[in-house]
Amino acid sequence: MTPPTDIATTAAPEPMAREPLAHRTSTAPFDPYSVERMNAEQERYYLASQWRMMWWKFRRHRLAVISAAFLTLVYFIILISEVLSPYALHSRHVDFIYAPPQGVHLFDQGKFVGPFVYGLDYRLNMQNLKREYTENRDRVEPIRFFCLGERYEFWGLFESRLHLACAAEGGTMFLLGTDRLGRDLLSRILYGARISLTIGLIGVAVSFLLGLGLGGIAGYYGGWVDAAVSRLIEIVRSVPHVPLWLALSAIMPVNWSPILVFFGITLILGLLDWTGLARAVRSKLLALREEDFCLAAELMGARPRRIIWRHLIPSFMSHLIASATLAIPSMILGETALSFLGLGLRPPITSWGVLLNEAQNINVVALYPWLMFPVLPVILVVLAYNFLGDGLRDAADPYK
Amino acid sequence: MRSMPISLIPFCSPTLRPRSRPIARASLTFVAALLAGLIQSGTSSAQSYSDAPMFADKVASGDLPPVSQRLPEHPAIADMSEAGRYGGELDMLMASAKDTRMMVVYSYARLVGYDRDFKIVADICESYDVEDGRIFTFHLRKGMRWSDGKPFDAEDFRYYWEDVANNHDLSPTGPPSVLMVDGEAPKVEFPDKYTVRYSWSKPNADFLPALAGTTPLYIYRPSHYLKKFHAKYANADELAEKVKEAEQPSWAALHNRRDNMYKNDNPKQPTLDPWMLMTKPPSDRFVFERNPFYYRVDPRGRQLPYIDRVVFDIVDSKLIPAKVGAGEVTLQARNLRFDNYTFLKDGETRGDYRVRLWTSGSGSQVALYPNLNTNDEVWRKILRDVRFRRALSLGIDRHEINQVIYYGLAHESGNTVLPQSPLFDAGYANAWAGFDIDQANRLLDEMGLDKRDDAGIRLLPDGRTADILVESAGESTEESDVLELIRDSWAQLGIRLYVKPSQREVFRNRIFAGDSVMAVWTGLDDGIPTAETAPVEFAPTSQQQLQWPKWGQYRETMGESGTAADMPVAAQLLDLLQQWRDAETDETRTAIWQQMLRIYSDQVFVIGTVNSVPQPVVAKDFLHNLPETAVYNWEPGAQFGVYKPDTFWLDESATATAATN
Amino acid sequence: MFTYLLRRLIVMVPTLLVISFLVFAIIQAPPGDYLSTYMAELQSQGEAVDQAKIDFLRHQYGLDRSFLEQYAVWVGNLVQGDLGYSFEYGLPVNQVVGDRLALTIVVSVATIAFIWLVSFPIGIYSAVRQYSVGDYALTFLGFLGLATPSFLLALVLLYFANVKFGISIGGLMDPSFADAPWSWAKARSVLAHLWVPVIVIGTSGTAGMIRRLRANLLDELQKQYVVTGRAKGLSPAKLLWKYPLRMALNPFIADIGGLLPEVVSGAVIVSVVLSLPTTGPMLLDALRSQDMYLAGSFLMFLALLTVVGMFLSDLALAVLDPRIRLGAAATK
Repeated sequence: MTPPTDIATTAAPEPMAREPLAHRTSTAPFDPYSVERMNAEQERYYLASQWRMMWWKFRRHRLAVISAAFLTLVYFIILISEVLSPYALHSRHVDFIYAPPQGVHLFDQGKFVGPFVYGLDYRLNMQNLKREYTENRDRVEPIRFFCLGERYEFWGLFESRLHLACAAEGGTMFLLGTDRLGRDLLSRILYGARISLTIGLIGVAVSFLLGLGLGGIAGYYGGWVDAAVSRLIEIVRSVPHVPLWLALSAIMPVNWSPILVFFGITLILGLLDWTGLARAVRSKLLALREEDFCLAAELMGARPRRIIWRHLIPSFMSHLIASATLAIPSMILGETALSFLGLGLRPPITSWGVLLNEAQNINVVALYPWLMFPVLPVILVVLAYNFLGDGLRDAADPYK
Repeated sequence: MRSMPISLIPFCSPTLRPRSRPIARASLTFVAALLAGLIQSGTSSAQSYSDAPMFADKVASGDLPPVSQRLPEHPAIADMSEAGRYGGELDMLMASAKDTRMMVVYSYARLVGYDRDFKIVADICESYDVEDGRIFTFHLRKGMRWSDGKPFDAEDFRYYWEDVANNHDLSPTGPPSVLMVDGEAPKVEFPDKYTVRYSWSKPNADFLPALAGTTPLYIYRPSHYLKKFHAKYANADELAEKVKEAEQPSWAALHNRRDNMYKNDNPKQPTLDPWMLMTKPPSDRFVFERNPFYYRVDPRGRQLPYIDRVVFDIVDSKLIPAKVGAGEVTLQARNLRFDNYTFLKDGETRGDYRVRLWTSGSGSQVALYPNLNTNDEVWRKILRDVRFRRALSLGIDRHEINQVIYYGLAHESGNTVLPQSPLFDAGYANAWAGFDIDQANRLLDEMGLDKRDDAGIRLLPDGRTADILVESAGESTEESDVLELIRDSWAQLGIRLYVKPSQREVFRNRIFAGDSVMAVWTGLDDGIPTAETAPVEFAPTSQQQLQWPKWGQYRETMGESGTAADMPVAAQLLDLLQQWRDAETDETRTAIWQQMLRIYSDQVFVIGTVNSVPQPVVAKDFLHNLPETAVYNWEPGAQFGVYKPDTFWLDESATATAATN
Repeated sequence: MFTYLLRRLIVMVPTLLVISFLVFAIIQAPPGDYLSTYMAELQSQGEAVDQAKIDFLRHQYGLDRSFLEQYAVWVGNLVQGDLGYSFEYGLPVNQVVGDRLALTIVVSVATIAFIWLVSFPIGIYSAVRQYSVGDYALTFLGFLGLATPSFLLALVLLYFANVKFGISIGGLMDPSFADAPWSWAKARSVLAHLWVPVIVIGTSGTAGMIRRLRANLLDELQKQYVVTGRAKGLSPAKLLWKYPLRMALNPFIADIGGLLPEVVSGAVIVSVVLSLPTTGPMLLDALRSQDMYLAGSFLMFLALLTVVGMFLSDLALAVLDPRIRLGAAATK
């Protein structure tokens, strides 16, 4: 505060007869923000809404932003997997069993040809019965784009033959190699993504509902309800997962269609995973219950259900979303583990778990390592979800 | 070991002149030696025996009697290509602790057993006589002993028959069903200490095969050991004490627990196998050591087995190919599949082993079983029409299956006997086994299934689409691969194939109950029968036959459950089976077999795909006497059993390798 | 506090009872029982089975009684310390489990130590240097183990270890040492085999620990007393170690209760793949073959460990954290 400059600093004057005293305060007009004038940036910050602030905080976590972009891309891909796959789901090539990945080249002997692959020559080594493939540099098979390839049913709705990229006529395009029946691995990964990625979402939805419901009533009502739910949570956490999986899978009827089996498995995964969410909800509610806004709502006569759903839960929705996002990767991994134990999805359904299970034997590790490639998308998606969840959690309480 | 029972007492006559005394002494020594030799060969058998160096100490110290007293008077002589040497350890991998029974299987020491031509010959018994196919007399080996030295004689057979099989507490359901002919129990006699006779009034053709079986019928027990647990022989208080200690509900339960010759998990139970169990369960590593009283010798009189020790390491089954490829076993075939071949072959130099390819003895590697007893009426009628089964069989591209999965090394055929069997005929193998889509479509049209829907799938008489749900036990990728290939070729017939993987128990129960329409499993268990084998797999005799479980159950339970075979062809097969049982000569039996095989293949009761699939057998370079090629089959064959593992031997490099490890 | 602990102890009993009922129901849920599974297995291998003998055994083992009867018998025996009889092994359960338990403990302890050793520095670094390149890189590494399916990683590491280092495949030691008495060579062999399972199981546990440590430490570092401390001139290192870290160690202790069943559960799959002689594969086999006493008693043992572990960690937390002891937010 700058001192007023118009105050006289002379000695106290003789009081004039009947004349008013000089003012000791400034006569300049009053400016409330003179001390704390905010610049534009500060103003934007203080006037920002909660969601905007969360976004800013989220943006700081670079990995989370990259992950979010990656996941959006991946989910978009599974919308059009049929178009992106070079081959149809069940198509197999008897002459190209266990073919290694074909590299894409642009230049053939110094000349630019556009993306192409070299033809594959096949020979069966009768000594160790190994299928040997060699690149035939004389056969250039250019890749066709937006071509008409193998027939497929888009989401089971209508037939089409349009592919983003397919092999040259009479040629092959096995960018990630083939498996033991000559099925293109890249196509199988793309089709399998559809199942693996949606299992996570549906499973989390199930555990979300359960966790929210049970955790909510426990946290709000407290007392014996809280004690009962806490014991239930403890019980579900104490029982090891593997036996529960075995038992629940055994209960599933045998004559269910693949779709029903799929949903059954998501249900199983969801049923085991809700405890973490429930505990978080419960502890948050226990804390928030004492807040003033809750008290006010109660005094105004709101029913408990309204208070929970309308007031309490929205206040920590961001935390819930973060926890849910962190639960999805465990579902995806759970599906692969179930496939390994023989309890989950099995061929002819294609999912990443099924692909990994087929890759889990010594022949693949030693002789056909490209069949382990599906592990890469699994890792990337799981990591992406984890980082995204971390970012969301960091951003969940922007006021901290 | 040549031992001279008579000491040499050189004659020395004082009347001979001193100069010729050494000559005289030498000539008289020679004569005495001759005499001694003659006398010795007169008092004992013409052969002398030797045993493993492993026992040298024990024999020297007196813990073990010398080998001539450990062997029976006339031990079994194993014939072999090259005589071996003693010593070494054989390492194998097993998938579960229950597999200690594989020692019994591989040892294949049976009362009578199959030889390499799958003919039944005497093994433990010295000889046997069969009269009219209903009176069986076994002559045991004199002086044969159990692994603890106690004698093996008719008492062990008597104990089994009177105190085990006919003891109400131990066998509440009576003697095993294979000993009952039309409900009649055998008359069991013991003319002397080394003779056993079983007789019935009607022929029992299953008796000898059961005795020679991989899972054998034991008609003897180590009586001296088991009597300790039998209420009739043991002291009541001591027995009660033992029962309490072992935490069993009764003496019968304790006896059953200790009497497990096949399961082979009791180190204290005496055995006749070449190697006896030394490790008490539970364990991850079971060690079997040489049986000092084993009854077989090699042609040079050396007591078998050659190998001192066999070790079973228990490992998860999925890891077994990896361990074998790393060279950690001496011999392995179990849990190795043909698709491991490339991997195993690649590891040959690093692991010092060689992979042989034996032939699987199954009638078909992957076979489809249309359930003729299915509850679905429409499907039942369709499946019972032979044209449908023939069409399905014609719609399978076996050549493709062979090329894709078995590199063309298997044999494309229906579900029938293999070329190695004397009953084989190419006609049976090729019956309806070609790939002819046109003919198949014609058959289906002829049957009345000529209506199709918009997608080209045939319609059943009641309007449903021809969707066949094939149930599988879900354990084999091979099965699902073959079914993938079949799905595509059946699509050309207008038939849709769906696969439903399941659990083994649920899978089987659904078939038995008639809830499933078609199942996938392996084909014939015995692909190498002879005319003397009972053709039980070709007639509805057992619930385990997945194409007619209820008819089989009817026969098994003697009419108590299941349904009687109501298809004339099936009844005909049962009739032929009975004729075989009543047959007297080999020619009759062969003729009946041919008839049954012809009907079975022509009717396509089971749709086979390929057989004679190669089975990898891995053996270290230093293992000898293992055949280069052979048939690998469970029953008969006992996988390695008929090839007599007690004649396998390891050469010097075995110990060298062990030392460097 | 004493009443709180006493109440927790008393509540443990009905909890365990409910768990025991759940466990038994889970084991009996699949259709059939041990003998029918055994029979199906034998028949499908072509081995002969006498149906009459099976029925006789079923009656002898009490498998033909009702569900509740069997449950009552089992619980009654459990309470008396009798864990039951394993059909598969033909031995009392405690004999079957006993040998394997020691090795399981070795693997679990090694894994938990690995998890702590790895997640501790990474968690601290992540919190202190948030959003730095180092933070991203280390977090990425720490989470990589979580993201990789353990069964595949185990097999790849196994093969790699065999080809590169000549370590025998699977198991916890070279087969020749299996029955030998303990010696330096045997211990060395165990160590050589131990690193594969520890890495595979441990890396999936590090991620969670890192995340929790990081979150807690971040919370603490923003508190007032840290600012005060820095203003008063405490060195950053001392400031970090003496105050916030102690608060942030909460999850290490609180999670002991949850870590043990997680390690044991996660270890099941890896143990099966690596064929370790631990309790994991034994449990899986027992569940598959419906060897109900072995599976049930062992699961109850695990559940007991968990419940006791949770109780002990709550106790430790109460001792270490005066806030909980004095009742503040936690009891609400």
